[in-house]
Amino acid sequence: MTQPIQKVCVIGAGTMGAGIAAQVANAGVPVLLLDIVPKDGANRNAIAQGAVAKMLKTEPAPFMSKSAAKLVETGNIEDHLEKVATCDWIIEAVIERLDIKQGLYEKLEALKKPGTAVSSNTSTIPLANLVEGRSEAFKADFLITHFFNPPRYMRLMEIVTGPATASDVAAKVEEFADVKLGKTVVAAKDTPGFIANRIGTLWIQLGLNAAFDMGISVELADAVAGKPMGVPKTGIFGLVDLVGIDLMPHLQASLTSTLAKDDPYQAIARDIPLIQKMIADGYTGRKGKGGFYRLNKEKGRQKEVIDLASGEYHAVTRPAGPRGAAAKGNLRKLVETKGGIGEYAWAILGGTLAYAASLVPEAADDVVAIDDAMKLGYNWKQGPFEMIDVLGAAYLAKRLEEEGQPVPEILKVAGERSFYRVENGVRQHLGLDGEYHDIVRPEGVLRLSDVKLSSQPILKNASAALWDIGDGVVALEFTGKMNALDGEVMKLITKALPLVQEKYKALVVYTDADNFSAGANLGLAMFAVNIAAYSEIEKLVAGGQMAYKGLKYAPFPVVGAPAGMALGGGCEILLHCDAVQAHAELYTGLVECGVGLVPGWGGNGEMLLRARNAAKMPKGPMPPVAKVFETVSTATVSKSAAQAKEMLFLRPDDGITMNRDRLLYDAKQKALSLVEGYTPPEAPEFRLPGDSGRVGLSMAAEGFHKRGLATEYDLVVSDALAQVLTGGEADLVDTVSEQELLKLERDAFMKLVREPRSIARVEHMLETGKPLRN
Amino acid sequence: MDSVVIAGYARSPFHLANKGALARVRPDDLAAQVVRGLIAKTGVEAADIEDLIVGCAFPEGEQGLNVARLIGLLSDLPLSVGGMTVNRFCGSSMSAIHIAMGQIAVGAGEAFICAGIESMSRVPMMGFNPMPNRALAEKSAAYMGMGETAENVATKYQIPRAEQEALAVESQKRASAARDAGKFVDEIVPIETRDGLVEQDGTIRGGTTAEDLAGLKPAFDAKGSVTAGTSSPLTDGASAVLVTTESYAKAHGLPILARIKSVAISGCAPETMGLGPILSSQKAMERAGITAADLDVVELNEAFASQAIACIKDLGLDTAKTNIDGGAIAIGHPLGATGARIVGKAASLLKREGGKYALASQCIGGGQGIATVLEAVE
Repeated sequence: MTQPIQKVCVIGAGTMGAGIAAQVANAGVPVLLLDIVPKDGANRNAIAQGAVAKMLKTEPAPFMSKSAAKLVETGNIEDHLEKVATCDWIIEAVIERLDIKQGLYEKLEALKKPGTAVSSNTSTIPLANLVEGRSEAFKADFLITHFFNPPRYMRLMEIVTGPATASDVAAKVEEFADVKLGKTVVAAKDTPGFIANRIGTLWIQLGLNAAFDMGISVELADAVAGKPMGVPKTGIFGLVDLVGIDLMPHLQASLTSTLAKDDPYQAIARDIPLIQKMIADGYTGRKGKGGFYRLNKEKGRQKEVIDLASGEYHAVTRPAGPRGAAAKGNLRKLVETKGGIGEYAWAILGGTLAYAASLVPEAADDVVAIDDAMKLGYNWKQGPFEMIDVLGAAYLAKRLEEEGQPVPEILKVAGERSFYRVENGVRQHLGLDGEYHDIVRPEGVLRLSDVKLSSQPILKNASAALWDIGDGVVALEFTGKMNALDGEVMKLITKALPLVQEKYKALVVYTDADNFSAGANLGLAMFAVNIAAYSEIEKLVAGGQMAYKGLKYAPFPVVGAPAGMALGGGCEILLHCDAVQAHAELYTGLVECGVGLVPGWGGNGEMLLRARNAAKMPKGPMPPVAKVFETVSTATVSKSAAQAKEMLFLRPDDGITMNRDRLLYDAKQKALSLVEGYTPPEAPEFRLPGDSGRVGLSMAAEGFHKRGLATEYDLVVSDALAQVLTGGEADLVDTVSEQELLKLERDAFMKLVREPRSIARVEHMLETGKPLRN
Repeated sequence: MDSVVIAGYARSPFHLANKGALARVRPDDLAAQVVRGLIAKTGVEAADIEDLIVGCAFPEGEQGLNVARLIGLLSDLPLSVGGMTVNRFCGSSMSAIHIAMGQIAVGAGEAFICAGIESMSRVPMMGFNPMPNRALAEKSAAYMGMGETAENVATKYQIPRAEQEALAVESQKRASAARDAGKFVDEIVPIETRDGLVEQDGTIRGGTTAEDLAGLKPAFDAKGSVTAGTSSPLTDGASAVLVTTESYAKAHGLPILARIKSVAISGCAPETMGLGPILSSQKAMERAGITAADLDVVELNEAFASQAIACIKDLGLDTAKTNIDGGAIAIGHPLGATGARIVGKAASLLKREGGKYALASQCIGGGQGIATVLEAVE
């Protein structure tokens, strides 16, 4: 039996090793981070310590909280390697040199406990070579775990086991990577580049080659190979700038030396003189002087782009890219577009999709693994086989045949069929055997999208739906654009309350979307303002207050299950839940002041309650008020669920799920755990500081204004907020009820929503997505 | 009347609030260690002490209740020794000395410990519950932030930013030179913390140059001239002096540092509170029968460079004799603890440097000044 993983060691404190260590710490697991002893300097741990210090300043942050950083113990491999005996998983992330890795493994073998997993984060060296010369026992504990950069944010981890790897060791690592590190683990074969980088490198090379050969401009290339293909808008050139142009020759050398001589990549790998010159001149991308794109500081940070023919930079132009259906995911329209666009799109897509299809079963057992790898490792919206389904497998095979290209086996197997289908409410994929196989979710994974395949909503309107997710639990889902909240959502909540009470046990607020909710539907609110329908707005505010309080006081448990952004009203609904099970990547906050408003759906009172109950909150009427004022007036948003706890948006005992796919399941379990003996909370009463407190808050705000950190209008907005938080006209000795506080909140909201400068802020946000600092 | 002397001075190391080595030390524990240190170093008979008078600018939280009594108990002073907490903001512990002097004058004791404490890490400026009176806030600058008052003084006296920065650089230079020469060793009581013994100031930035300071952003007013570099830092620290009658000190062989010649308090406009030392120093010097030209040592608290410069100009002080070992911009300004530090420091310097008269003076938030004139004891 092997030990469960309670402590991890990462050897190599470069970007990847340090980032992996940070993610282990983010999971609350202690981690030992070792690197070599620096050649000079007295501090023998300087490299690992420096890596941690640097990560604390890096944006986007590798750590989810400052306290996570404290779980990282730093050291060096000369003085501290024997500490690996206390670890249950050792991750090697040192330089990509076989001799160095093998030398390290030899030392580890003598020091580690039997059953402690050792994995390499190599992206280029075959497993078979890594374990040469090691004992059978070591080989049984050894595997490759290939993370993607940055390890906190990229969800893919490729796992490669060798013939000798013990299945329980691999299972232990896989479970830890999945549940604790939040990774989707994709099983890859021990072949060069594994899955994602092998396909990705070919895809990039095809994109570069074709642009140079066909005389396509950088801007047009990215406009074709970006959004229309469901690829991040950086496209190919922008992506290369991001990862570093100087990395390309290394990837190329590694793959050409390890791939079979007849691999299609060998035929397209080539040195491009302009790229070689750019690297030599320091134009290595965003980390260097610039890349294919650059910001010209002499011209006020004007964005410029390189001309692939002349090598000269000029201002970025907006190319006439794909239009209509071709721009919106119809890949067949895209590759058939006339005038260069279609040819360029085909050069990339045809080559990449054919290559991906040829890798089953060489690099992966099935199409799902390949699709997952590309979606999670390269942030593609669809994997290669999902794209083939859009394009048509037969269409792809026919075009390849017409061009004299080999047609991969699996395309022949598919024929006229698609790679994915839904049968009896279950999603299936096509195997090499020509049969469809169910896609089985791992234990503990529940997706609303799967529920939807096999059932109808209990309730549904334009902005929300209610689903039965089994075991007596229902899920409330937002369905509007950006999951915006409006009167329809409130109506559905109001309708759901008696229904759930009658027929179910608990309710979970959840959505499969990347973002839980961007908050209230401001567009709708502005429409009402423009026609001066203020009573409608007040109804919407009051309706939201009622719906949210309805959730709070419902006779059944309500659990919020947010992931991604949960802003404004999206944050307020969470504040009304009995408990929250949050995805670790939670970006939540009451951002209303940023658009010249105050929280209007009960957020103020709920935050005051949180602050009042917070541990270490000093006594007296002001500290909770000042804390909430500070957080809300500055529209502060958490950058993780751990931070959301520090900011009081989450309670200390709210749960955090690291793996996005496990969120709904965990939330459902949490809801079920609350069912027995559930009693709704009692309405609180507040003792608030009144006018004196308001003077204190406005003095603080004025200080910010003087320092240039708050605008004059910020003072108006923050004063309205202070009016609510200090209890309006109530005196220090008065008791303020929850309903009275809601009235203050409505009044403040209604006052601000009539202010032209607030309206300007809202309109600016709707137009640009950015706050207006008026 | 028997004259009153400073018969001993001690302080904790001063450290930056929140990030410094004393951030995790309770203020009452911190002050108790300094009180014990003072008793040990002077050899005073603890049972002879009438009262422990402690200045604190924000006496709440861990430095709340009657913290003086608590510090007395923590220091294992005999139960017979009293304890009183005094609040005059930054002038608190200098007021403690003045009170002791008054008590001696009315025959209510021979020996007092006058201490000061402020943990700006653990109790925020303005306290935990700032609740200003709206009517007063509207009619006066009583609640104005200190940085803003420093800007007002800079404007009123037309003190350019570079001049403020020159004073700050000099302060840092003098403080680091004094530290490096071991001149603080005698006054500092090492403090036990959970992370070990803290023996040195953590506030002083010796290498500070005018160029460093010129790069800082204004700290209080985006269009202003006062920066973090020309302000005293938020500081944790404690200080204490032994105040006795001259005859008691002599009879018990205590190390007399100086005699208190005169004291004064004055009020001024809250919006330019930094000018407080001008009137209070003038009053104290008049009471002592001296002028600025007679001063051999001056300890003028540098709450901000701008107000220190204004006071130096108006009082006609000799900068060579002012803050000889550096001022609060370098050493730090733990509000309630500063008064006892600068009186104790002025007394020590009078002894070390020689000379006849010393002045210790400081400004006080809300618009006051406080001053003490010391005289060498032959």
